[in-house]
Amino acid sequence: MHELILLALAIPVITGLLSLFQTKAASLRVLNLPGSIATTVVLFTIIYQIVQEKEYSTEFFYLDQLSVVMLFVVALLTLTATLFSFSYMEKEVKEGAVSESLLSRYYALLNLFSFAMISVLVVGNLGLMWVAVEGTTLASALLVAYYFNREALEAAWKYVMICTVGICLALFGTMVLYYGQVTAGGGSQALNWVALKAISAQLDPTVVKMAFIFILIGYGTKAGLAPMHTWLPDAHSQAPSPISALLSGALLSCALYVLIRNVIIVQGAIGPQFPHFLLMGIGLLSILIAIPFVLVQHDVKRLLAYSSVEHMGIITLGLGVGTPLAIYGALLHIVNHAVAKSSLFYIAGMITQDYKTKNIKQIQGAINGMPLVTTLFIIGILAITGSPPFNIFISEFKIVVSLFEKQQWMIGAVTLLLLSGIFAGMLRYLLKMSFGTAAPERTRVPVRPLAMSAMVLSTVLIIVGGFYLPPLANSILVRAAEIVLGG
Amino acid sequence: MELLTILLLLAAILQTRVSNLRLAINIIVAQSVLVALACAIIGFRTNELHMYAAALLTSVIKVGIIPLAFYRLLPYLQEEREIVGREIVKANLSTFMTLLSIILAYEVINPHLPGVAVATTLPAAIALILSGLIFIMMRRQAVMQIIGLITMENGLYLFGLSITQGLPLIIELGIFLDVLVAVVVLVILTYRLKLSFESTDISLLKKLKG
Repeated sequence: MHELILLALAIPVITGLLSLFQTKAASLRVLNLPGSIATTVVLFTIIYQIVQEKEYSTEFFYLDQLSVVMLFVVALLTLTATLFSFSYMEKEVKEGAVSESLLSRYYALLNLFSFAMISVLVVGNLGLMWVAVEGTTLASALLVAYYFNREALEAAWKYVMICTVGICLALFGTMVLYYGQVTAGGGSQALNWVALKAISAQLDPTVVKMAFIFILIGYGTKAGLAPMHTWLPDAHSQAPSPISALLSGALLSCALYVLIRNVIIVQGAIGPQFPHFLLMGIGLLSILIAIPFVLVQHDVKRLLAYSSVEHMGIITLGLGVGTPLAIYGALLHIVNHAVAKSSLFYIAGMITQDYKTKNIKQIQGAINGMPLVTTLFIIGILAITGSPPFNIFISEFKIVVSLFEKQQWMIGAVTLLLLSGIFAGMLRYLLKMSFGTAAPERTRVPVRPLAMSAMVLSTVLIIVGGFYLPPLANSILVRAAEIVLGG
Repeated sequence: MELLTILLLLAAILQTRVSNLRLAINIIVAQSVLVALACAIIGFRTNELHMYAAALLTSVIKVGIIPLAFYRLLPYLQEEREIVGREIVKANLSTFMTLLSIILAYEVINPHLPGVAVATTLPAAIALILSGLIFIMMRRQAVMQIIGLITMENGLYLFGLSITQGLPLIIELGIFLDVLVAVVVLVILTYRLKLSFESTDISLLKKLKG
């Protein structure tokens, strides 16, 4: 197991380093395809073993069924993002957006980014988790700035500045938590998650409360929760599309994962009421703030980015409700959102590349040029707005039901209202983009098989997830929900 | 130790009056030296080897590599400075807020909490974090914002030192690495900003909205 984890961390680093020395697009492809497949295979082997052994714990690493849920997301998304990157980036080179010599840097950073996200999930120490989360910001910052034009620089600057300041507050909270641990007599196993959880009942409630506020603000910034979400639409819209997919699907999930790990400790010390109240409030606020921006959006990637803010809000709301059903729904929603949103960013990448604009008003009748991709786009948008029979409907439904079960009538009703608003707004753009009158000179656009496989794989998961959840996945989620509740 | 604390806070206040980039960088280097010294002194008092290691790391990264990156960037930013004439009100406000945060930190924080390692530096650390945050919000020059971030980080580091004698060395190492990479990334971005915008004034970055 130890070797497997080290392998999962080493493969991206080695692939990234080797990528730096390649100059040709073809050789980068030859290197990165097996590299990312190997990473995914190793991650799935780890998942398999954890499911068998329930948990794995050493001085530095800790994995349980909760980590498994997130590992699945990262394993899947790094694979599809790499698959999609090949044709996307090669087309960018062909159209002169970037020079071929810069491609090696892209793949090196992409692998570094994967490495940082995997390390967030495998380390078992809140301090090291902090280090890894900050590492993800830094690895992805230069990817956001990849085109080095004015907008990309602006986005990257805001991204690094806001996220680093936010994450500094999280470090402050983590230090306060460590102080609580030391005064409770657990100083020898500093910030070790298992040790902290074991003594969580003895921690000083006032200290933990203060720590939690800073931790929530810090990791909430990274997870794109309102009102600290302002970096998110900029970064998501300016990064190359495969990176936007990773940022939205995997990175935000990783930040939430660290937040969840902290919440487990906090509720052990001061009970669930205070953290759940804050989580619910911040979740609802995120959904609320995303709505107007979705309704009047003119940039397709920003539209998807604000939808990410909304979905992070839904997940946080679910975590805040705090019943087993709600947590189950929230965890399932993390997976579903990651699959659907990454697929949508790939498709949006293809469409914007073809139309050479991100402006929704200038994209019309996409179905004439690329019927298959646009069909996938329609499925993706329907799924992301929570319409049945797709996967997101299932998890959203569970969260909303749990709200009503907990007698939160007002919040449940408001959430439903907001969700239907988002549905209406997104659908309006979908119809325009897909079916509006196309310019007559538009011709059929060929799609490369590797890129297509990434999108089709995601879409298959979207559709299947709407009907069928394997019993194994179900039992993992049930167990993960128990862990979140302190079991 | 008291002297160090006073000097640290003095540096933070002084920083708010500076508009010249080179001078600002020199002050932040001096601040980092003070933090490294504080770390070494605590190491000397408690006789813990890992404090010396942390002090050494602080010196290497914050007094060595980071200033080096800054000084290599400076020649490209000859005419860049905070505009004092127009911004003087803001600078005064910035000084005032920093002073206020120091007073607030000393008023609110009770340094004699049970188990606190070094009581004298605890309020100063909080004040430093706050003044770093204020500095970031008040300044528009890219380099100045980076300096604000380093101030904040110094404050955080001092906070960790005073409350629990720092984190375990392995985490400390990771944090140092992150700080180093963060500053390098920001310096690269600053250089690129200069190339594309012909200025490193962050208030020019307002195209992405809505």
